[in-house]
Amino acid sequence: MLSRNRWLSALLLSFVAVLLVVGCGGGDDEGEDGGGGEAAADQTLKWGLGAEYVLDPGLATDTTSAKLVLNIFDPLVKLDDELNAVPSMADSWDVNGKKVVYHLKTGAKWSNGDPVTAKDYEYAWKRALSPELASDYSYQLYGIQGGVEYNECEKNCAALRDKVAVKATDDKTLEVTLTSTQPWFIQQSAHSVFLPVPQKAVEQFGERWTRPENIVTNGPFKVEAAQPSASITLVKDANWRDAANVKLERVEGRIIVDGTTAVQSFEAGEVDVLDEQLPAAETPRLKETPEYELYPGLGTTYYGFNVKENITDVNQRRAMSLAVDRQSIIDNITQANEKPADAFTPDGMPGREDVVAESSPWTPAAGDVEQAKEYMAKAKNAKKKITIYTNEGAPNKEVAEALQSMWKQIGIDSSIKILEWQQFLEFLGPPPPKAVDIYRLGWVGDFVDDINFLELWTCDSGNNNTGYCDKEYDALVAKAKQTPDNAERYSIYKELEEKLTGQEGALPFIPLWYITYPNLERESVKDTFKINLLDQVDLTQVEIKG
Amino acid sequence: MSADPREAYASGTALPDVVTGAAAPGAGAPLQQANLWRDAWRRYLQNKGAVIAGGIFVAFVLFCVIWPIVSPYDITNDPLNFSEAYETPSLQHPLGTDKLGKDMLTKLALGGRISIAIGVGATLMILLIGVVYGSIAGFAGGVLDNIQMRLLDALYGLPYLPFAIIVLAIIGENNIWTMVIALSIASWFTAARIVRGQIITLKENDYIRAAKAVGARWYRILTRHLLPNTLGVLIIAIFLELPGVILGEAFLSFIGLGISPPDASLGSMAQEGREVYRVHPYVIAIPSIAIAMLVLCANFIADGMRDALDPRTRETKEH
Amino acid sequence: MTAFIIRRLLWTIPVLLLVILLTFVLMRQIEGNPFRRTSRAVSPAVQQNLERKFNLDEPWYVQYALYVKGVFTFDLGPSLVTRDRTVNDIIKEHFPKSLELGLLAFVWAIALGIPMGVVAALRQNTAYDYTLMFISNVGYAVPSFLVATLLIYYVSLKAGLLPTNGWEGWKYKILPSFALGLLPMAYFARLVRGSMLETLQQDYVRTAKAKGLRRRRIVMVHVLRNSLIPAVTAMAPLLGFIITGTFVIEIIFSIPGIGRYFVTAISSRDYSVVMGITVLTSVIIILANLVVDILYGILDPRTRDART
Repeated sequence: MLSRNRWLSALLLSFVAVLLVVGCGGGDDEGEDGGGGEAAADQTLKWGLGAEYVLDPGLATDTTSAKLVLNIFDPLVKLDDELNAVPSMADSWDVNGKKVVYHLKTGAKWSNGDPVTAKDYEYAWKRALSPELASDYSYQLYGIQGGVEYNECEKNCAALRDKVAVKATDDKTLEVTLTSTQPWFIQQSAHSVFLPVPQKAVEQFGERWTRPENIVTNGPFKVEAAQPSASITLVKDANWRDAANVKLERVEGRIIVDGTTAVQSFEAGEVDVLDEQLPAAETPRLKETPEYELYPGLGTTYYGFNVKENITDVNQRRAMSLAVDRQSIIDNITQANEKPADAFTPDGMPGREDVVAESSPWTPAAGDVEQAKEYMAKAKNAKKKITIYTNEGAPNKEVAEALQSMWKQIGIDSSIKILEWQQFLEFLGPPPPKAVDIYRLGWVGDFVDDINFLELWTCDSGNNNTGYCDKEYDALVAKAKQTPDNAERYSIYKELEEKLTGQEGALPFIPLWYITYPNLERESVKDTFKINLLDQVDLTQVEIKG
Repeated sequence: MSADPREAYASGTALPDVVTGAAAPGAGAPLQQANLWRDAWRRYLQNKGAVIAGGIFVAFVLFCVIWPIVSPYDITNDPLNFSEAYETPSLQHPLGTDKLGKDMLTKLALGGRISIAIGVGATLMILLIGVVYGSIAGFAGGVLDNIQMRLLDALYGLPYLPFAIIVLAIIGENNIWTMVIALSIASWFTAARIVRGQIITLKENDYIRAAKAVGARWYRILTRHLLPNTLGVLIIAIFLELPGVILGEAFLSFIGLGISPPDASLGSMAQEGREVYRVHPYVIAIPSIAIAMLVLCANFIADGMRDALDPRTRETKEH
Repeated sequence: MTAFIIRRLLWTIPVLLLVILLTFVLMRQIEGNPFRRTSRAVSPAVQQNLERKFNLDEPWYVQYALYVKGVFTFDLGPSLVTRDRTVNDIIKEHFPKSLELGLLAFVWAIALGIPMGVVAALRQNTAYDYTLMFISNVGYAVPSFLVATLLIYYVSLKAGLLPTNGWEGWKYKILPSFALGLLPMAYFARLVRGSMLETLQQDYVRTAKAKGLRRRRIVMVHVLRNSLIPAVTAMAPLLGFIITGTFVIEIIFSIPGIGRYFVTAISSRDYSVVMGITVLTSVIIILANLVVDILYGILDPRTRDART
């Protein structure tokens, strides 16, 4: 009886066999990665991207999108390794008080053959300010005269649009009038929202102009194909003004949302670079591999206090900051060799050595529990039962648990509440809700001047969730904005930093660490693939070695 | 019995009842209650798989309840000890330690507590809503029944997991209660149908008619006669729903909508372990094995109970 | 039968309205601003511009009416977050991938599950039976994100046989569809085994045996056919499960499917996309249930008249 039914078992076995055969068909081409110095014949970069991208420079808000648009459109200026502005589409520029003039290169062409002119930039900037586009980054252009007014207009918008003080006086001259002297404006214009857009395509296709079949670009690379949520293929634009110096022929971007899978994909040789998706839990293992690369970032992670209602005594805030063993959190939890923060101004910020001449006394890297206890004893109305708010995501929860444990040593009992990112942001205010005692957030620089960081703590800043408000502080910020001289301005920043984290500072937040960007890079691109402090990549510099 | 094929499996879009896909067992006559249960118990004991599964299940529940109390480690209050992070199993830590140096055995018990609490809670919630809704419809009959059933038809269109996700996003803070609500809110429809079918069948029975004839009030008939007779089906249903709820919670943990830390469920522990599976495989293995064990035990128990409570289903599992 | 189908089709309209209303009301309860994605505050002016642009400044009933009108003209509106695509575009691009994934998973489930069930039933209480049922139990009980992770590790990374992620060619589709198909496979295996065992006990099978028909013929002609009825009727809800349950697999394997998009849309508060996908899945579930009822009627004529 058993033998008569063998065919049924065979049926099952054959399915298994099919599975195996199908599986075995897959093992083929595995590229060899030598570290040699010669350029490889195939200049294709396979790039693991972490999130959905947006190819409209006016609408790009996340770093993935910013990295892409900065390479398919041509910025007026770029930032070099020291974050100085260097010419890109603009050959040179004059700054004369509030007046900024860019002199553009000639002969550059859009991918459809049209010439690139100053008009394209004027159009793009006004478009970014337009209420119809409602760009998230429109505030980056508020430094231009008439910018805020146009962005906030309800009626007479056309008239207000004409009043925005950016004007292409001819094809190669772009004139801008600022609301005040802004010594950082040139560097700021390296931001993705300042990229040009092709007026003809935008007007013809509306919001769908960025789809691969419609898009027109003017950068070193153009879009060959784009699969939403899956991949994007860029190819070198042979007609780009400086194409001769671009080594890379092709960029195959692939979106891998899950960090664990991303690492697997890298190890299987499917991508050459992984720059956004390293799970913190994997870093101790990956650190030991030759492909691991770490870049400093221009950003500070901090825990903000609700100073107005809950943690009102500065001594308690000092105690809580002193109790934090930053080094231990970095070594054991975040694991990406972040630098323990000793002020709010992050490492790498121009003028930092003047602004933070000495470290904040409240932020010893390894903590100081004894001193913390002393300050805790001095605190009046200390709140000993607190609630920590943080957002969902890998190391945040563990960091909160570590802090909970550290604050327990100075007699503070804390409970942790975790919210989803966008819910978290809305919940935090400002003004801070009563329920929040302390919350996690970070600030990553938009442009390279400390004002971008220090302005955060003004009274009516939309990003100040602590309730800290000091009119003198605000006055100093306003003064700094009117101070074109670097040394002079930096000394104002120093005063500001003192007011925050200095000996007598109000300490409305606990600076924790300065962020880093851990990457995995195949040795064939490791020398040339670089990420700058603002988390940007210049693909024109990348070359695949054989 | 209703001929609606949708009653042949569990919730419309929830995890299907994997055990046999059996229809709701027909309602037996309520002759001698005590005897019936004693017989059922005896039959259950004859089913070896079900007995073993039941034993493991009870043992695990006891472990989860008792161990955190007697354990030398207090996971929520002990200071963190990074020097003990990711220790492999040893005498001090029979299942090793996690990223923050916490004892995995204690963590497992706490995670098990939460997973079981969510599982049982959501299942009870599903049954509670289902029983109330279904028995009202079944008992009232007529127009009300019709309206209720049409409404139920509409609710069947709700996709289960998307709704759970939306509900969790609304509540924001994910504790045991909110997980219970999210996991039960779109999955009680089948329970309601089954209960209604049962009640309608029972209502036609002679003894109910007799009770009515002697003037018993409707709620008395409902609570004294009808519900006790659906009890067996409901107990089976608990164990049938349990695996789906536990796995559903694990899925939600995966996308970050599971229980909020510092509390952890088995699902969120597995998700945490997934990040380090290459270097510390036991961190993922422990909660996963526990999940698999719970799910399998629940299946076997449900299987055994069905056979025990309604021997006829052995012959007529399908129609 | 025709009248029944028409009635059921008409019935889907009020059902849809209710689903839309429920989703609509629920979505409005979610905290979080779809226009604030980074820690940078959105200026009130920009916020206002955006709300006006997407009609979010209208009272809720106007928004609901506009939306219902949109649904019945097959226009699900613009996405609040992915601004160069409408919800229709998003569904058009991502839904087919989920559908394909679900169907392939279903193929695995049927191709492996049914033979497993048949073999287990024919060899009841042998090592075959126990092994196959053990496999099916494991397939059911282990969370799919684990199975997927391990499959990628062993098959793609260690053995180098298949790509780790993506959705570009047939090679990419094997692992995710298998991982997703494990649960329905386990389900089919158990279902078929159970109903086979039962059918084998039926009188007509015994009669056929007594008449000396070859066992193989009995199994093929009588037993298998009758045993598959419950499997067929179980397909629709399983399909519903697969379609809504793909998101975990889609995230792990980086498949640009609708399930993954739904999860992203929820966390980015992209209301119109969430609504659109929910409405779409509801329609599918409603239709699947309808198909099941019809199939059931065809396969088992006895039930046709009993239904109201």
